[in-house]
Parts: sequence; structure tokens; C-alpha cells
Amino acid sequence: MTQRVAIVGIGQTNHSGRRPYHNDGEVIYDAISAALADAQLSIKDIDNVIIGDMELFEGHSLNDAMLLDYTGAEGRSGFKMNTGGTVGSMNVISGWYNVASEFSDTTLVIGWEKHDEGPTTSAITTIWDPAINRPFEVGAISGLAMISNAYMTRSGCPLEVGAIVRAQASDNAARNPKAHLRERYTVQDVMSARMVLYPLNLLMICPTSLGACALVLAGEKKARKINKKPVWIRDHATAHQVTRGMDFMAEAGKIDTSMTVTGRKIFQRNHITKPMEEIQVFEMYDPCAFCQPAWLEEFGLCEAGQGWRLIEKGVTAREGSFPVSPSGGTLCTNAIGDTATVRVAEAALQLRGDAGEHQVTREVKMALASGYGGMYWTDLLLLSNTLD
Amino acid sequence: MKAKPQLELIYLDMTLKMPFKWNTGEPLGEFFRELKANEKIYANQCPTCGRNYCPPANICTRDHSRCNEKDKWVAVGPKGTLLTFFICEQSFLIPTTGEMLEVPFSVGLVMLDGAPVVLQHCLQETDVEKIKPGMRVEAVFKPKEERKGNIFDIIHFKTIKE
Ligand SMILES: [Zn+2]
Repeated sequence: MTQRVAIVGIGQTNHSGRRPYHNDGEVIYDAISAALADAQLSIKDIDNVIIGDMELFEGHSLNDAMLLDYTGAEGRSGFKMNTGGTVGSMNVISGWYNVASEFSDTTLVIGWEKHDEGPTTSAITTIWDPAINRPFEVGAISGLAMISNAYMTRSGCPLEVGAIVRAQASDNAARNPKAHLRERYTVQDVMSARMVLYPLNLLMICPTSLGACALVLAGEKKARKINKKPVWIRDHATAHQVTRGMDFMAEAGKIDTSMTVTGRKIFQRNHITKPMEEIQVFEMYDPCAFCQPAWLEEFGLCEAGQGWRLIEKGVTAREGSFPVSPSGGTLCTNAIGDTATVRVAEAALQLRGDAGEHQVTREVKMALASGYGGMYWTDLLLLSNTLD
Repeated sequence: MKAKPQLELIYLDMTLKMPFKWNTGEPLGEFFRELKANEKIYANQCPTCGRNYCPPANICTRDHSRCNEKDKWVAVGPKGTLLTFFICEQSFLIPTTGEMLEVPFSVGLVMLDGAPVVLQHCLQETDVEKIKPGMRVEAVFKPKEERKGNIFDIIHFKTIKE
């Protein structure tokens, strides 16, 4: 009793810092409507609805119940996910379980956030252990700053590499009408931005955005009928990591991280020995400018210490031999609950050849998408446009 | 498409102000009692795999074993080596106190002498030119009468020359 699962509908709102006249429900409704239109389905064709966001960002709980009219979940099965930063990819993975098990034939997956409604850095600070870590953290960015400093010390990565990553992301986002920050920046522009949390300046951290992304997942038989270009979810892996007292950092560079574990699982199970050749694009959840270099290494895509050198060589650019986050990534668009769903959606658009101006120049047959969040948890999904 | 008429946009102001009491559990409570009474920072070890924890853990993250009892705990620090750090230049609302953060605010992960463990805490130094991973630091405690049995019984880590 299992079936293959495909993405047959993709919908995304434009992202912004603030969008007047849109309450949370309307933002969600826009994304769902776009996904259903893409699949040429109506809400009547959906069996199951899964929704996710960061609790507390909008100041209320049980959003799934409160937004039932907009999500279309009334009378249907489904649930809300709340796994922090990974919620957007955990939604997709939960949708996969629902369809793969034949529990449902069509599942609607929704990720959303409306960062403009509250003090989200304060809300996110509550993810940390109240006795030991919370007094010494500033939202999600402080942990990322410490990872970045540790990576630079360990690998010799210069500060400028973070600026190269951001300048590249800005060029990608400028081509992507759904992205939030679409201004083009040079490496020099990025280097001279206002410092927020050393070593991360204002341009080296992800923005706070408003937006939603919805996907329609369908079982194999149905998928082929619905969409001429189904994108298959070939595999996925999740790994958790403890951050009690940030104690894993004591062994950073020596122990497996959640990226190492998920990368190894995906490559081994799918007999991928040269991931940067066999996979053509990676939509990475990259919330700060040093994530790409550090995590290319941790996911096992390249040797330790090589991540930042590949970036310097232009390998990860849109026209490069292994484009990373050609949509502009999390660095340019971050409505947290939808961020990881957007990674999957953008990887799927690349596989369909439907990414428009930010389509990569390389032919794409296989793609990776990741989700990342507190507490250093990782989801990794492998997608393809054929089942070969 | 006809443009929508400009309507007044209404925002409702809300403040969530909710008091909580968070039970530390036994090993963490004992860790705080030692900070308060004796200026001692303790770590413990998993008897199965040998992984070290500061503050002492109840259950080992790696293999789910129960960690050792207090008579086997080891005192670590107060000196240590800076592993990594950040310096926050932009204030934000602290969710547990409702106050704005005083900046610059610099925080380090300190590898404490005596066991391979880190403790996260404030650094006294906030000048980026004077903070380098690998530098030596030492915990500064509050005077005994001001200590309350929480992480703030340590004021910060100061830079030391050895
Ligand atoms: Zn153990």
C-alpha cells in the first residue's frame, strides 16, 4: 500500500515586508488559489489539508482552526505543523506521508507567515532553553552568527565570501518577481552595510517577509492525469540536533550535524556518488550569508574547507555548474512558515523549466531542496522530473 | 481591472503579557545551587559513551542513558577559551522581561577548562577588534549576597592574560 508522490500544483504569493488590505487569511487564500489554478483543480478535488507557520508570530495560536474558511479544510482531514524553521518542508514531507500511504490521493500543503504583525525576533527567542540559552540569544540570528564565526575560524573563509553570496542572491532575486528584497547589490555594497550582529550585517541576514506558498501533492496515477509536468518527490530525510547549552558547538567540525546526516542518507539511498554532477540545482534554506559555504560542506556536496572556495569560483551562481538558491533564497525572502515550502516550490519550478528569468542555464533533471530551523534541524528533499 | 477603492486599514493592538514559572528539574537546579552557594560551575558525563555536559545533563542526548550522579560531577572553569561569539548592535524586545536589550551586547561560547564542554554567556569585551576565538577568558561572579541561583549569578566572562 504505497504510491509515488508528485507535486502537481505550485502557488506562491509575491513576498513583501508589508502588504496593505491583506490579513493572514487572504495571503493564504492567494497562494492556495494559485496552486489550485496551476493544477487545474478546485478545492473539491482536495482530500487533505496541511498548514504550517511559526506559532506566536501573529500573536495567536491554533491558526489552522482560525483560518479554516481560507484554507478550505472544513470537512477534510489534515493538521497543523509547528516545527519552527523546518515547518515549510515538514509540511511537504507530511503531505508525502499522507499520499504515499494512500491515506489521501490529493493533499494541499500550505506554508505562510505574516512577519509584519509582531516582534518576531522576540517571539523566536522563546525557542531557546529559558534557563541557559535564552538570555544570551537574539532570535535566530545569534546562533547563525556564532556558527558563521566558528566556520570562518575553522575553514579560513574570509568575510568577503558572505558578501559574494549575498550579491549573487540579489542578482537572482532581481529576476524573481515573487522575491521580497529585489534590489541588486555589489560585493562592496554588502560589505559596507550596517552591522547588526557581528559578523552579520543587515544584508547578510534574511529579511522578515509576508507571504504564503501552497503545493498540491498527488499520487502517481492521479498526478499524470492532472499535470503534464509532475515533479516527483523521490526521497526525503530529516535529522534533529540538540542545542541544549549550544553544546554541539564544542564538537563543531568533528561531529555529524543534521546536514551531514540528511545528506548522507539521501545520497546513499539514491546511489548518488557525485552529487554536484548528478544533481543540477539546490534550493537551500540559507538564512545567513555563511550558510551556503558551510552547509555545502556539511551536506557532503564538497570536501571540508572547499565550500567558500567554490563560491569564490562562481560555481553556485545561476549560470554556474552547481547553482544554489537561484530564486534569491532565504537571504532575500523569508516569511518563515513558507520559507522551506518555497524552497521545494522553486526547486520544482526549475525541474519543470518554469522558473522564468531565474531559470538556471544548466539542464535540470534532479534537484535538492532543504529546510532548516530551530534547533539546528534539517529536512532535505530530493526531487526529479522523471521516475527513471 | 478596476482599482480597489482606498479603505482605511484597521490594526488592532495586542500585548501578550503572561507570567510563567519554569521548573529546572534536578540536575540543572543543583547546578544553579552550586553557582549560588560556592561559585562552582559543574559538568557531568555519560557513563555509557563518555559525552560531557555543562550544565550537567539528566539523560545523554546521544544514547539516551541516564547520566552520572552528583558525586561524580566535576567542577569546570572558571577559566576557559573562547570558541565563537557574536556582538549584537541592534536592540530588540527581550521576551522574558519585556525590556529592550542594551547594546552592544556580546556573547561567547566558552570552552571551560577541565572538560570538553561549552557554556554560553556574556563577554565583558564588546570591541570586535579585541575579541578573537582562542582567547582566554574567566567567569566573573556576583557577590554572594546578590546571587539568586540562576545563570546571572555569573556576570560575564572577562578577557584574561596568561
Ligand atoms: Zn551517552
